[in-house]
Amino acid sequence: MPSARLRIVFTTAAIAVLVLSGARGRGQAPSPQSGIVVDYSAPPAIDRGLAPDVSRSPDSPETTRRRTLRVEGAPSERMGASGARYLAGRVIVKFKDGVSAAAKAAALAAGAASASTRPSYADFDIISIDASADAEAAARALAARPDVEYAQASYRVRTQFTPNDTFYARQWNLPDIDMERAWDIQPQAGSAITVAVVDTGIAYTNVTMRYRARAFRVSGASYPALGDLTLPFVAATELGDSSRFVKPHDFIWDTDLPLDLDGHGTHVSGTIGQLTNNSTGTAGVAFNVKLMPVKVIDTEWDSIFGAPHEGTDDTVARGVRYAADNGANVINMSIGRDGPPAPVVEDAVKYAVGKGAFVAIAAGNGFEDGNPLQAIADIASRVKGAVAVGAIDRAHNRSYFSSTGAYVELAAPGGSFRGFGAEGGILQQTLDLNLVDTFELPPAAFRAPRFDALAYFYFIGTSQSTAHVSGLAAMLVQQGVTDPAAVEAALERFAIDPATRKPRGKVRDNEFGFGEISARDTLRGLGLAK
Amino acid sequence: MRAPVALVAVLLAGSSAYAQTEPAISIRPFVFAAGEQFDAQTTFNAAFDRASQPLWGGGVQVTFRPGIFAEVSASRFRKTGQRAFVDGSQIFRLGIPLTATLTPIEVTGGYRFHLRRHPRLLPYVAAGVGSYRYEEVSGFAAAGENVDLRHTGYLGNGGIEVRLHRWIGLASDVQVTHVPGILGRAGISKDANENDLGGIAVRVKAVIGR
Repeated sequence: MPSARLRIVFTTAAIAVLVLSGARGRGQAPSPQSGIVVDYSAPPAIDRGLAPDVSRSPDSPETTRRRTLRVEGAPSERMGASGARYLAGRVIVKFKDGVSAAAKAAALAAGAASASTRPSYADFDIISIDASADAEAAARALAARPDVEYAQASYRVRTQFTPNDTFYARQWNLPDIDMERAWDIQPQAGSAITVAVVDTGIAYTNVTMRYRARAFRVSGASYPALGDLTLPFVAATELGDSSRFVKPHDFIWDTDLPLDLDGHGTHVSGTIGQLTNNSTGTAGVAFNVKLMPVKVIDTEWDSIFGAPHEGTDDTVARGVRYAADNGANVINMSIGRDGPPAPVVEDAVKYAVGKGAFVAIAAGNGFEDGNPLQAIADIASRVKGAVAVGAIDRAHNRSYFSSTGAYVELAAPGGSFRGFGAEGGILQQTLDLNLVDTFELPPAAFRAPRFDALAYFYFIGTSQSTAHVSGLAAMLVQQGVTDPAAVEAALERFAIDPATRKPRGKVRDNEFGFGEISARDTLRGLGLAK
Repeated sequence: MRAPVALVAVLLAGSSAYAQTEPAISIRPFVFAAGEQFDAQTTFNAAFDRASQPLWGGGVQVTFRPGIFAEVSASRFRKTGQRAFVDGSQIFRLGIPLTATLTPIEVTGGYRFHLRRHPRLLPYVAAGVGSYRYEEVSGFAAAGENVDLRHTGYLGNGGIEVRLHRWIGLASDVQVTHVPGILGRAGISKDANENDLGGIAVRVKAVIGR
């Protein structure tokens, strides 16, 4: 016990030295870049156990404040006619095949565009327009041209989760989908399968990074620039060793180091494949799958640190294409947005399914916000091999936040705190949000974040429900059902009515789709007569 | 219409000559092998990769002069395949073993025709009922998830027996069975909308007795 205490003291001291040594640059000449690898190692992770006090929850004042965070010098966002936010100064365009360079130039000139770029993992172009111009109107004008397949504004995409503020030690969600008996059928739980987590990154490696933290404002309050920070990052101990992670890529920072600066991607990855039966922590669905961290969503610290790219439709589309090109069998998209359609993402999803990847997409958490159509999730209803996943709570009702609509195809545990307390959430290991979300502190108490401490948090959201479906899909692929359309068919065929717990017989509704996934029934399939 | 009537007339006309050498009652045990093409083609294809399967059996036939006979037989089909599911026309096997056993017990009555010009050839037709026991045992089954059902079915057959020796005959026939009530209520058969465990079987029988 004393040695453990000594280790914690030593680790804390080491980290303090690192943080302070990084912070000393404040006020001095800053380093030329943010997001630089200082050392491909970091002190050991600090396990802070179950976290009873997290300030993020769906309707908390902290969550409301987070949405107002604006970083000085960051690209400006505008709100479109539908209420969806997009990045100013750019439009996503896909020209039809065979369109000449001259015709493209003419189109750009007609749209008052100044430049066009073709990013990696894209079959579309990003064109620059005046930052004050209405990007939606520019997209409409371009889309009307005969040589353009589609054009759209660069809409912002967000994670689809709602973290909790209390904790309990039970994972009701896994027995709820009959996971224990599913593991009996397939004890290797997807060892040959790769699941791409297209998200905020994953805490998957130990590394020490240097970032330059810029000033920002939250709800009108000014937060100072912290200057250059040297920050250790640790791998989530419950996700396993480095051999588990394949082809990591970061489309926000343009690196192969998709670090999670938020905790969302790590939590989602835990539900998909947290180490299981290891006498530690929590369990995951397909606990042997390979994980491909693909970062396409920027969160607060990415923005404060000056990430060069944002989580927009085009970034998401590139991430999906990257995952498909690099061998993902399943792509988890616990992300979404409402607003106008996202043809660039739809193209990417179709591309991925065409390459043999099953895609699970969060149905959205917007039910109590007017239940708008979820543009990313809606894609799934048009693609055989992609599903939109709603959330159910512990009492097998629709989670209060879970969006409904004709596009919802499946449901899985996403939890709810209303009437259940924290035990109604989905528990997994992730970053210790108490040490990450320091921008929620008053400006006087604001300090550098820490990404070297882990804890177990309850999250709720369709992000969490989607992760269950991805995990189960991975196990089904491992069992030989490799066609994405067949994976979807199987998941829907064996889904059960959440209330009666009986097979639904492919009856669909707008709340649960074809029903709640049933892991054991899906993996076991059918006999001749039963 | 004319051809079948003529055939029956010929068969009946020929019966009297052979009837003089046939004992009044003869008890004739037999064994047979059959290949059955099950009607539930998608169901059997899904689990076993093919809808035609072998059965083995035996029984006793009692013949009465001039050509009436009754027959009791028991047979068995047993095979291990995989649990699966069907999506449209595609079949996906899941690698979980499934063993199906079908045990028909059939009682038939029929008539043997004696051909005057070919006394060694005995065409026959028969019809009857059967009791069909179907068992299905799968991996990872919980209580009540395996299947053990028995249901009545109906059958008819027709073929020809060749007398190889005074005491030995070899017969071949085609048997059609209709077995409702077992398939179609759950499982692959329900998804495939197949509710008949019967089919068409070609049987080869070795008969001992006169």
